[in-house]
Amino acid sequence: MNGTLATRLSRLAQYGLLGALFVFLATPMLVIVVFSFDANRFPTIPWGGFSLEWHRAILADPMIRDAFLNSVLVGLGTAALATALGFAAAYLDFRHRFRFKLPFILLVAVPPAVPATILGMAMLAFLSRIGLFGRLETVMACHVAIATSFAMAIIRLRLNDLSRDLEPAAWNLGASPLSALLHVVIPFCRPALIASFFLSAAVSFDEFLIAWFVGGVHETLPVRILNLLQGQVNPKINAIGTVVLVISVALVLLAQRFTGVRAGRRPKPRSGE
Amino acid sequence: MTAASVTTRASARRRWLEMPRARMAGSPKVLPAVLGLPVLLWQAVFFAAPLVFLVIVTFWQVKAFRLEPAFVLDNWSRILFSTTFQRALVHTIAVAGTTTLLATAFAFPAAYTIAFRLSARARDLAVAFLVVPVFSSYMLRIYAWQIVLSPEGIINAVVGAVGIGPLPLLGGAVSLQVGLLTLTLPIAVLILVFAMAGIDRTLIEAAENLGCRRARVIAHVILPSLRPAIALTATTSFLLAFGDYISPLFMTGSKPPTLSILIVDTVKSGSQWPRASVIGVSMLLMLALVLGLGQWLSRGRAARKEAAR
Repeated sequence: MNGTLATRLSRLAQYGLLGALFVFLATPMLVIVVFSFDANRFPTIPWGGFSLEWHRAILADPMIRDAFLNSVLVGLGTAALATALGFAAAYLDFRHRFRFKLPFILLVAVPPAVPATILGMAMLAFLSRIGLFGRLETVMACHVAIATSFAMAIIRLRLNDLSRDLEPAAWNLGASPLSALLHVVIPFCRPALIASFFLSAAVSFDEFLIAWFVGGVHETLPVRILNLLQGQVNPKINAIGTVVLVISVALVLLAQRFTGVRAGRRPKPRSGE
Repeated sequence: MTAASVTTRASARRRWLEMPRARMAGSPKVLPAVLGLPVLLWQAVFFAAPLVFLVIVTFWQVKAFRLEPAFVLDNWSRILFSTTFQRALVHTIAVAGTTTLLATAFAFPAAYTIAFRLSARARDLAVAFLVVPVFSSYMLRIYAWQIVLSPEGIINAVVGAVGIGPLPLLGGAVSLQVGLLTLTLPIAVLILVFAMAGIDRTLIEAAENLGCRRARVIAHVILPSLRPAIALTATTSFLLAFGDYISPLFMTGSKPPTLSILIVDTVKSGSQWPRASVIGVSMLLMLALVLGLGQWLSRGRAARKEAAR
């Protein structure tokens, strides 16, 4: 393998670039966590010594506690609803042919591609007209509209691996469409359902522009952070950041654990082949 | 493989495909409707209707600080002919275009290394590491870059110790690109890794057996089969950078403003909803144009000729 000097240099450059990419992506996350334990008011080098002061400060801050609670409520609601709606959309796409199927799928798939600034403004304009502005439920409803896209994608991917004739077999044996769905399709999709629950929660937990536009006085945690960031330098931000980071990274890792998405060739059981 | 076995397999496959449909005709249509309607209603009320309303509002009027239904083109002409909007549009396109080029250029070799050089285990780890930032705390990571780049920040503390003077790292085009690459790079690399992993390895081996060096394999086998993925990477990067609000806000302090900044400022400054909507709808049109261009590019010359016939 390792032949000429040129090949070896090229390999070195390749691994070097990959290393640089990972450093670039990891740096901001490490900075947040490391400086949340810094005793200094302003985060810089030299480090001011280990301190839990800012972590204690956020526990004592009622606004942060409320925002955290709001985020948890919105996140759980979004996770449950987006998973249910995402499953329905993915299953319809998998099993049925109907008119306007493409527009229907696009209606679910597209929302994350619309810049959140525009979507947030549009949601605020429309939802305030129909009297839904400034409620926590509205924030959740808007998050569901976005997260369902990811849920549908994860579940649809799993359904690819479901033999197309398993359900008809159940029907032939006398199962109603509903009981085939409940006893064949849903158990098969369980890992994907769990994954999309966690991922939808992560999407909601991370979203701030729409929550900022439609939430009114009900701040979620990212909105609280956004408001803190626009004010004075506040050493609490790193501490909240660490909490948020740990939660969202945990949610994404859990989601990944259940999807088993791999960049590689995986033997895919496909019917008819 | 004999011709007979091919026909049997084809007819078997046809039977497999048709069976569910034949069965569907007899089963009630209630279940699909029960599953589909909530999805349809939800996305209609919380996604489609707001966007439709956004378009409608661009023709409305503001009278005495109140939004009133009307049909005027005044908002469109005022915004489209204002220098503030035109400058912001050019600036945003330039910034997003730069991000697109940088993200694609950095992502390609990185994805290549992940897809072709790493072991399966290392590749899974790399993918897991790249998925995490896509869904977590973008705003916080931009704030962290502020800490790193600011005049009293980490880099300046380090270079200051050896006597180099505070460098103006924050607030320029470079810091803006750092922010936007934080947003776009993980996704760009992921798209390319998945596309590269999907390339038929036998093609590459065939080219190598025929005596192609690695550079020729990349140019003549890998790049052509990645055309759609590269177009997708580029359009996704552009879309994200074009609509981003956080990087321009925190990395350049909104100066000069991008279109997203302009929208939020226009909304905040009072009741100028119609004008903010005009900016929003213009951005969406612009993005639709870019997506269309990406589609066109991804098809390739041969396919385009085919389609024209």
